Amino acid sequence: MDSFQTVMRLALRDYLHERLLSACAIMGLAAVLAPLLVLFGVKSGIINTMSDRLIQDPRNREISPVGSGRYGADWFSAMRDRPDVAFIIPQTRSIAASMILYNKNSANPRTLVVSLIPTAEADPLLEQYGRISTKNTQVVLSEPAARKLNVKAGQGIIGQVGRSVAGVREQVAVDLQITAVLPLGAFSREAAFVRLELLEATEDYRDGRGSKIFGWPGSARPAGSRVYPSFRLYARSIYDVADLRNMLMDQGLEVYTKAEDIETVKSLDRSFNLIFSLIAVVAVLGYFASMVSNVLANVNRKSRYLGISSLIGFSTGNIIWYPMLQSIATSVLGFLTAVILYRLVAALINGLFSDYLSAGEYVCWLSVGHMMIALVLTLALAILASTYGAFRVSRIEPSEVIREV
Amino acid sequence: MKDAARDPLAQGKVVRPSRDKPRFTASGDDVFRLQEVTKSWPGEHGFTLTVPKLIIQQGEKVALVGFSGCGKSTLLDLLAMVLRPDEAGEFVLFTQKGEELNVMDAWQRKKLDSLAQARMLHIGYVLQTGGLFPFLSVRENIGISRRGLGLPLDETVEDIAQRLHIERHLDKLPGQLSVGERQRVAIARAMAHHPSVVIADEPTASLDPINAEEIMNLFTALTDEYGVTLIMATHDWGKLGERGFRRVEFGFKREPDQGSVRAKVFG
Repeated sequence: MDSFQTVMRLALRDYLHERLLSACAIMGLAAVLAPLLVLFGVKSGIINTMSDRLIQDPRNREISPVGSGRYGADWFSAMRDRPDVAFIIPQTRSIAASMILYNKNSANPRTLVVSLIPTAEADPLLEQYGRISTKNTQVVLSEPAARKLNVKAGQGIIGQVGRSVAGVREQVAVDLQITAVLPLGAFSREAAFVRLELLEATEDYRDGRGSKIFGWPGSARPAGSRVYPSFRLYARSIYDVADLRNMLMDQGLEVYTKAEDIETVKSLDRSFNLIFSLIAVVAVLGYFASMVSNVLANVNRKSRYLGISSLIGFSTGNIIWYPMLQSIATSVLGFLTAVILYRLVAALINGLFSDYLSAGEYVCWLSVGHMMIALVLTLALAILASTYGAFRVSRIEPSEVIREV
Repeated sequence: MKDAARDPLAQGKVVRPSRDKPRFTASGDDVFRLQEVTKSWPGEHGFTLTVPKLIIQQGEKVALVGFSGCGKSTLLDLLAMVLRPDEAGEFVLFTQKGEELNVMDAWQRKKLDSLAQARMLHIGYVLQTGGLFPFLSVRENIGISRRGLGLPLDETVEDIAQRLHIERHLDKLPGQLSVGERQRVAIARAMAHHPSVVIADEPTASLDPINAEEIMNLFTALTDEYGVTLIMATHDWGKLGERGFRRVEFGFKREPDQGSVRAKVFG
């Protein structure tokens, strides 16, 4: 143990004594690792965010039925239980799924007929913008609808539904609250996203029935569960769309998906991953090569001291730790230097693009987990590189090196 | 030379001025016993060293005398157990009374750690130049073997530094010293852990004659006082007898047809 400690002491004193060379080795390593960290920071920051957005884009994950069918409660609950289904909600008859919206607060009152689209919590189209209706009288308007009605989120608006019973025109109204307006990119038609209860009441009213929820007059609904002609369906990811589509087609349904867009996004995602994997492999190999050259240069430069240590009587098993300790120290210090450099560059990049980022978004970002992986990889490579160095040390013949000039 | 000149002062010097437990006992016992030991390097300019018989006793001062390239360093490295002999009828280091290390056997069985351990405990080595760690202070250089053995550094280091007149340099780095001072440090390092054998490879060859003379006097006085066996390669054969050295010489023969060299040890 004394012997081992003495060798460790020698290695450290040597390392400190030639601090300029040690610093060079540390900087050399940091120079390889720092750009690598920035690259992966950008990869896990903006690139992942962007490709996640593409992969998660609800417009690509949507599966729409063509024509109308008959879907009961059992079918919806079976679909809801599938792990590849992110969201499914029944849709009423499209002919009945409309409403007149009336903005009387404006200087010149406006009316507009909008489509009603059913929504609920976890609706991917709305969730992306963090806007969900929770009450039966809340609506989310599409941008064209809001513009034509000249309303903003937070305002009240009146919804009107009409029918003619035995030649007599009747109409009911409901006070609605606009919780949000979707951006134009999310939905381009004039529509209001409402809860299914309002849609069902609208359909019932047009059929001559009343609604207890909204207090609309009419006959009672006959018993039996409701059958819907259509639905809104979103797959969990674009990678689940094809399977879901096949499953539905096996049931005899005709559905529409954005297969071409999905293929583009998939190949983009695959290309990005491939490119980054290749860069990572090359970079790690380069990192390893720089470590091996560090270790070998160290062993060769130190061969005389290592030989003298052996001559003095330190065992080979102890002496191999002399260059090992030094390369491990270089690796750890090089890693820390690289992390500091990375932090500076990341702060700079994120600062430059701060205008384009929302809170919690970064262009360049690595988690603590990523850093730990980098550290473990660094140490593993250092030990691997040192193992070859140790082998070279074990081959040193003291009698060949102690008389070197 | 066959007749071993023995230093009478070395006789009976059994207790060294140290608090360490003695690792060897009375002089007169053998330290090294070699018979039919050979080491050769093959090739056109090959070299073969043969040691028919060499017995070195505790406390003895042995001078290996011969030209450069006659095999002095080879023999020193064999004795220091850093060079593996090709063959050996007998190659034994006597470590304590009644205890011995079969060096050839250890090499053959690749018990390199026990050879290293024996080097650290029993051998001190002085190289022709330096061999000091440039990043350690003189004090740490001298104490390196003591530290490796877990011995206290206490006054032993300062004591030996005083004896070699380098006590004022203890906290300097070797690079700040003259060549002569460095050799004194090397001698101090080889002796600070009180080995039973000190091996020196032309320790004064790179010094001016006056310095060489003074250092050689200090060195031999110290080995005499400590009762240490001194095995020294030298081509300065002038005062060997005066200083009580036994001469071991090298016979030298060039093979006319092969261009290789055969050397044989007499002594």
